[in-house]
Amino acid sequence: MDTQVIIDSFPALLDGLWLTVEITVYALLIGFCLATAVAMMRVSRNILLRAPVIAYIFFFRGTPLLVQIFLIYYGSGQFRAELTQIGLWHLFREPYFCALLTLVLNTGAYSAEIFRGAIQAVPHGEVEAARACGMSGWLLYRRIILPKAMRLALPAYSNEVIQLFQSTSLVSIITLMDLTGVARTIVARTFDVYEIYITAGLLYLAVTYGVLWVFRLVEHRLSGHLREREDPAAAVRDALRARA
Amino acid sequence: MALAAEAVARNPALVARDIHKAFGSVEVLKGVSLTAQEGDVIAMLGASGSGKSTFLRCINLLEIPNSGEVLVGGELIAMTKNRRGETVPADSKQVDRIRSRLGMVFQSFNLWSHMTVLQNVIEAPIHVLKKSRAEVLEVAHATLEKVGLADRADYYPAHLSGGQQQRAAIARALAMEPDVMLFDEPTSALDPELVGEVLRVMRQLADEGRTMIVVTHEIGFAREVSSDVIFLHEGRIEVQGPPDAMFGNPDSERFRQFLASNLTT
Amino acid sequence: MFDLKGYGWMLWEGLAMTLTVGACALLLAVVMGLLGAWGKLARNPAARLAASTYTTVIRGIPELLLLLIVFYGTPTLLQKLAETMGHDIRVDFNAFTAGVMTLGFIYGAFATEVFRGAFLAVPRGQVEAAYACGMSRALAFRRVMLPQIWRFALPGLGNVWMVLIKATALVSVIQLDDLMRKSFIAMGVTKLPFDFFFVAAMMYLGITAVSMIGQQQIERWANRGVQRA
Repeated sequence: MDTQVIIDSFPALLDGLWLTVEITVYALLIGFCLATAVAMMRVSRNILLRAPVIAYIFFFRGTPLLVQIFLIYYGSGQFRAELTQIGLWHLFREPYFCALLTLVLNTGAYSAEIFRGAIQAVPHGEVEAARACGMSGWLLYRRIILPKAMRLALPAYSNEVIQLFQSTSLVSIITLMDLTGVARTIVARTFDVYEIYITAGLLYLAVTYGVLWVFRLVEHRLSGHLREREDPAAAVRDALRARA
Repeated sequence: MALAAEAVARNPALVARDIHKAFGSVEVLKGVSLTAQEGDVIAMLGASGSGKSTFLRCINLLEIPNSGEVLVGGELIAMTKNRRGETVPADSKQVDRIRSRLGMVFQSFNLWSHMTVLQNVIEAPIHVLKKSRAEVLEVAHATLEKVGLADRADYYPAHLSGGQQQRAAIARALAMEPDVMLFDEPTSALDPELVGEVLRVMRQLADEGRTMIVVTHEIGFAREVSSDVIFLHEGRIEVQGPPDAMFGNPDSERFRQFLASNLTT
Repeated sequence: MFDLKGYGWMLWEGLAMTLTVGACALLLAVVMGLLGAWGKLARNPAARLAASTYTTVIRGIPELLLLLIVFYGTPTLLQKLAETMGHDIRVDFNAFTAGVMTLGFIYGAFATEVFRGAFLAVPRGQVEAAYACGMSRALAFRRVMLPQIWRFALPGLGNVWMVLIKATALVSVIQLDDLMRKSFIAMGVTKLPFDFFFVAAMMYLGITAVSMIGQQQIERWANRGVQRA
């Protein structure tokens, strides 16, 4: 183990980690809004709203993220003329934009499915009580259904956040210098495979469990007084179920 | 308040006319009507499956009746037919407005579990009636005081007993300052020792002169508190009248049997 | 629908490789999962520690990075080990083996939780009944536990499979000729990236759809005789 290599490359790895975190946060923020809208359409009784989002969710949950990234990054090249015409080509030319767009659409689909389950799990009686008070439509969603659903969704959603954070490593394949990208570049130059990759791995590990810990705290605050503690093995099973 | 009501109109607080409701091929209500004047406390009795809860839910359109009319304070809830020929409310805004004037208390409380008792109580007055928070808080605290939950305002529903939850639910309905209160078997989900505290609150509301429709199994409450008793049997009103006459000398054999089987339990 | 300029066969070849890698990795994942679950439920604290370290580490590190570590790291490690013993050897690691091993290890961690849940789902009384009949721990495990856990584990393993088959796309990064890499090569020749990746996506979607149907069958099978209870 060559510690000097680790010390030398640590600042570069931290830079990479920064990009990883940045792209994760952006994708999460936009993806969350997308997923909320999609989930509401998914539970709609109107088939014209429901059908397109069923197809969207099925496509993005049923194909590998890598295909989705390639489809958007390389695939857009096939429509260069058209995209130039409508003034979007300069966006699709950028790997950063393509990566972010793919991650947003991907997490949007997975989160929408989580939120759909949560919306449907909101006790019927509580919704009825709100209707009996004269609430309906967006007010009912905003004040009763969504706040309740988001609490129910939190354990599964924290898994999705972790999944997304790790999935961002794929953006290195389209040349972005995220943590994995920086690590690969350094390894290509120095051949210190173990030192660099394991350091990168530990950084991922640290952030992953840091985020999980924060979610645990939030969850505890939001619902600790309502239900019993969750079983960590169940969290992993939920993660799998969410990804399947 | 009574003066004002007299000055404005002589409309009954609530009228339901010839309500029919079927679930699939099962006819649950075969034409039930009811008129509640201001201050009336109407107890609806009947065996389970007699349609009394469904009738109550038809009044605020949690179930959409297949036919019939509902008037609240003289205002008719407009209905129309959709493309498939089903009866639906014509104006969902009107439904929301009417519902906000009818306070509903459910058998299973249905408190919003992610909010504290106080938050439950102030939610709809602020967001549906658009009242100011300060004003609502004042009413809410007074209401909680009335139902005996002043010291439980910041508790979550999961931390309360069933009786406390139901009293909180009553406070939630009261805070809307409704014209009519609807009670759907408010004590049926409670342990026997918790029934009394809820009935006490309901009796207090009746004494205040509130208009109440109470679907219940509590014969004692119906006899002592109500101004009218309606006995439903298989989707029709079998017999109705003031409690003295109904309980003193019931002229319906079915009601007599119902009383006999319920008093012994 | 798409004119693949005669390169469609490449995608079929790639699909076959994807399914092969997926199947082999699933097999390894099942073995790792059984080992991991045994470790998690073991009385031996060292075994428990090893098993929980395994699942913790796998869950915290991206699959791509793990793949790179195994693919590039293993030969280096072996060479360095040989060097310290005074040998100078050249180790080449086959991409197929690296891909299968990495995916198998990663999804073994998920399978661990699946099997752990399945072991715990077998009623304790039945195992005690086995001991009461004089069975040893090993015999009770083999005759009473093992036949029963499949019912509880198979739906979970179906989920593992569906996630795993999508993850196989990553092996294209280490130059294994799977569906992704074949599409990539075809795209380079035909200059039709969208068409090829879209068809590849549809093939993955086909696998997912078939797997979902299979999953339903499995769940129906797993619930037989249980729903009445």
